[in-house]
Amino acid sequence: MSAGRPPSPRTPRRARGPASRAAASAGAPPLERLRGWFRDKGWTPTPFQEEAWAAYARGESGLIHVPTGAGKTYAAYLGPLADVAAHGQRGLQVLYVTPLRAVSRDVEQALREPLRVLDADISVESRTGDTSSSVRQRQRERLPEVLITTPESLCVLLTNEQAPAMFASLRAIIVDEWHELLGTKRGSQLELALARLRHFAPGVRTWALSATLANLDEAARHAVGTRHTPTRVRAAVERPVAVETLLPESVDGFPWAGHLGFSMVARVAAWLDVERSTLLFTNTRAQAERWFEGLRFARPEWEHLIALHHGSLDRAERERVEGGLKEGSLRIVVCTSSLDLGVDFGPVERVVQVGSPKGIGRTMQRAGRGAHRPGATCHILFVPTHALELVEMAAARDALLRQEVEPRTPPRKPPDVLAQHLVTCALGGGFTPEALRDEVRTAAAYAGLTDEEFAGTLSLVREGSPSLRAYPEFRRVVEHDGRCVAADARVARLHRLNIGTITSDAVVQLRYWNGARLGSVEESYVSRLKPGDTFLFAGKGLEFRRLQDMTAYVRPAKAKATQTPRWGGSRLPLSTSLAAAVRRTLDAARHGDVTSEELAAAWPVLDAQSRLSRIPSAGSLLAETCQTRDGHHLFLYPFEGRLVHEGLAALLALRLTRLRKATFALSVNDYGLELLTPTPFPFDEAVHPALFTRERLEADILESVNVGELSKRQFRDIARVAGLVLPRLPGARKSARQVQASASLLHDVFARYDPDHLLLAQARQEVLEQQFEEGRLARTLERLAASPLELVHVRRPTPLGFPLVVERISASLSSESLLERVERLKERWTREDARSA
Amino acid sequence: MDSRRCQVRVAGTLLELLPERALYWPDAGTLAVADLHWGKTESFQQHGIPLPTGVLEDDLARLSAALEATGARRLLFLGDLVHSRQGLTPTVVDRLARWRASHASVECVLVRGNHDRHVKVLPERWRLDVRESHADEGPFRFAHHPEAESGRYVWAGHLHPRVRLGGRSDTLRLPCFHVGQAVGVLPAFSAFTGGLNVSRRAGDRIFAIAGPAVVEV
Repeated sequence: MSAGRPPSPRTPRRARGPASRAAASAGAPPLERLRGWFRDKGWTPTPFQEEAWAAYARGESGLIHVPTGAGKTYAAYLGPLADVAAHGQRGLQVLYVTPLRAVSRDVEQALREPLRVLDADISVESRTGDTSSSVRQRQRERLPEVLITTPESLCVLLTNEQAPAMFASLRAIIVDEWHELLGTKRGSQLELALARLRHFAPGVRTWALSATLANLDEAARHAVGTRHTPTRVRAAVERPVAVETLLPESVDGFPWAGHLGFSMVARVAAWLDVERSTLLFTNTRAQAERWFEGLRFARPEWEHLIALHHGSLDRAERERVEGGLKEGSLRIVVCTSSLDLGVDFGPVERVVQVGSPKGIGRTMQRAGRGAHRPGATCHILFVPTHALELVEMAAARDALLRQEVEPRTPPRKPPDVLAQHLVTCALGGGFTPEALRDEVRTAAAYAGLTDEEFAGTLSLVREGSPSLRAYPEFRRVVEHDGRCVAADARVARLHRLNIGTITSDAVVQLRYWNGARLGSVEESYVSRLKPGDTFLFAGKGLEFRRLQDMTAYVRPAKAKATQTPRWGGSRLPLSTSLAAAVRRTLDAARHGDVTSEELAAAWPVLDAQSRLSRIPSAGSLLAETCQTRDGHHLFLYPFEGRLVHEGLAALLALRLTRLRKATFALSVNDYGLELLTPTPFPFDEAVHPALFTRERLEADILESVNVGELSKRQFRDIARVAGLVLPRLPGARKSARQVQASASLLHDVFARYDPDHLLLAQARQEVLEQQFEEGRLARTLERLAASPLELVHVRRPTPLGFPLVVERISASLSSESLLERVERLKERWTREDARSA
Repeated sequence: MDSRRCQVRVAGTLLELLPERALYWPDAGTLAVADLHWGKTESFQQHGIPLPTGVLEDDLARLSAALEATGARRLLFLGDLVHSRQGLTPTVVDRLARWRASHASVECVLVRGNHDRHVKVLPERWRLDVRESHADEGPFRFAHHPEAESGRYVWAGHLHPRVRLGGRSDTLRLPCFHVGQAVGVLPAFSAFTGGLNVSRRAGDRIFAIAGPAVVEV
């Protein structure tokens, strides 16, 4: 986040007057004094920092992209700070937006630090979801000159009726970690909020900070909006990444599937060294819990030197861990993406990645958490969790060498985010439709918004639906004297609770009997627990007692905890870059090129694949058929990542059910897909290049999406963002319970009574775009149709097929009637009952 | 439409399970339904959640169809007839009064459920004979909450039971009748309801509603 050591913890809230040697330059322009402060710290302004300060002074907006730890915070901040000091005005002038509220305190310290050389009354404060109500109250009366906030808290501020006046004096907006937001709906939401701020303060300049991306031009345009031409500032600092893989002792006992990687704990425990502070990244929270437990068991002497950090832990605990890491009392921290960003750790020396990093940009980001010295090489140790991940790791190294960083593509004008924004604007002083439409279009994500699309979204919040169906009792935004405003206080309260685009399942607080807080877990997990069940959380064995008022009460478990909470939505798909690299690597292995140590280690498994079936080549398509007690399986291995495979599986299942009546269960992973049917199916004849035709692609995919469950799942998130599903917050009023319904139920009601509804259309569109990102599925089909087919019948699932068999079923698709399915399933049930009796 | 009912003999009495999500007792000419949640869509609309109207019309059409198909003289509502106070808008109250008038000769009895308690007095035009906790008739007790009662077989609602069919390769979740040893639970009548998976104990019978048919599973 910033250059050099973290500042001293006791920086006064308001620094006034000369306090250092830089005072010698009292009377000098503020930027001169700030340069003096830089020199006092023993730093020299780098050319990119000078470039950024000059660009700001010329009134420009833009994007700064430099590697982590090169000092981009001060590159963006000192220009605006000098500007504020020079004008000596009070009120909000600099807005610093960060995607992580956990880092706001570190940012706060870093932004206060230079104040002491300025002879100006400037205060720096945060406002996030964690800000206390007394501070909020004070801020309601007067905002600080420099405010640090998150996109969501910014949107809550925009619901204030005084918002136009509050933001009118703004001079600069700094958006940190823009690459994290860009490809998500949080980014779309922030773009809309920035458009609003530029309307309130027409002269405001926007500077975004980003790590390396494949689409930096696009990132810059989306940050500054359509009315400005972005200036790009980049540092000539290289941060090479060196990759090493911790190989399993023998691949024979190494699992073919799974993602916990538990068999590697002992080897990692032996490799770790408390003299060298280390971050150990895992891909899921459950995995972090298990690894933390495993490492403590392996090295009990490290009890006080090792800690756990993930997003569901209580904030106080997360802060304790971050603090311990910074001051060096904690030496090894097991973490998730919760520590991908922000926090300037200073002393971290080593970075470990357990399991595939799933992307090249992500690997660079995590590697960059260690050794914050500009120009220094970052080291990262990969720890495979199953045999085939060795292939991914060899591929990742290759892609890193080639600098194949992924793009992050901004969502295109998502209506659910716009619907939420319209209610925010209705609350924040109201709006007239024409003026707001023009303003919304200045956000690059919504530049192509048509009049009809705007009107449709507006009618969603005003009348319930653009399709003029009856929504007689619906009221959210109403027109009053030509302005759109919120219908009533209840709408306002629910909307503020609901702001944001980060969708997750309902969570419940986890507390001890005496009220002490531990963190949160998903309600769907807790609802399956019975009193007395034990589970692992925050490194502790806990016994579930009861659930009351959205709080799960627990006590320390006497018995050993038997399970770990499952948190949804935590598995990332293989990125395009890494997927392509995996295909290349396997192709090389097929042709006998096993020079990398990872491939050499994985060789026994690849050899088994080769003997039972084939190793997939880059130029052909491998298909395997197999019969087990589950039914008749078809496996295909396109290696395009799980999202594309989901679309592909639904499409192929639909086309196969047209040939013969059948029901298919679909299962996908990053390598391939499986179609499973309980009744025999002539896969040998049916799997044919014609199956992969691009003809009728869109119609077929839409049909399969309708029949399947993809759009239903997509709808869940959309419904939440658009305010159809209310969050179940602890302490939420009971009356809200009468308007709780699952998103899948809402989906069914819309599909039946208003099938053209805007949000259903969006769900279908998002499925199309996410499965066919830049026509990726179309290109995949083209590749598959042109590839020679290698169809192999295998007696049991191969090393590539086995992980698909153990994968949870993701959807099913059927051309049988409901009654036919019930009769068949009933028979099966009877058979199983008979067997178990 | 090919409509298939199932017959069960409970407490020495023949009963029919209808795919319209209703229980029919031919000897008494009585039809029982549970968890209708009238005005649920409208409750959502009042809270600023745009849900399309339509569920109520379909539910009423299905209820009329069940009455006509059986020729029932009495209709028992086993609780949760209305969803919430806010949902009972003048339009909804009026629509239901008109529906009630179209079945004027049918005697309607409501056993109150937890949702009904939010509405102290139900509209007079609905002409309901309201019982606070249960109605005992013949060998049966009709109630909202599925709690066993010695000496009588209990028919109830409240749980919105659903049955999960299938295994790894194909799964379905369907509303169902859950006929236990001492208590039978009806499926929620309203289409706009979620539900709980039933857990089957030895001797229980489960009848799933598969479109136009009731199928024992």
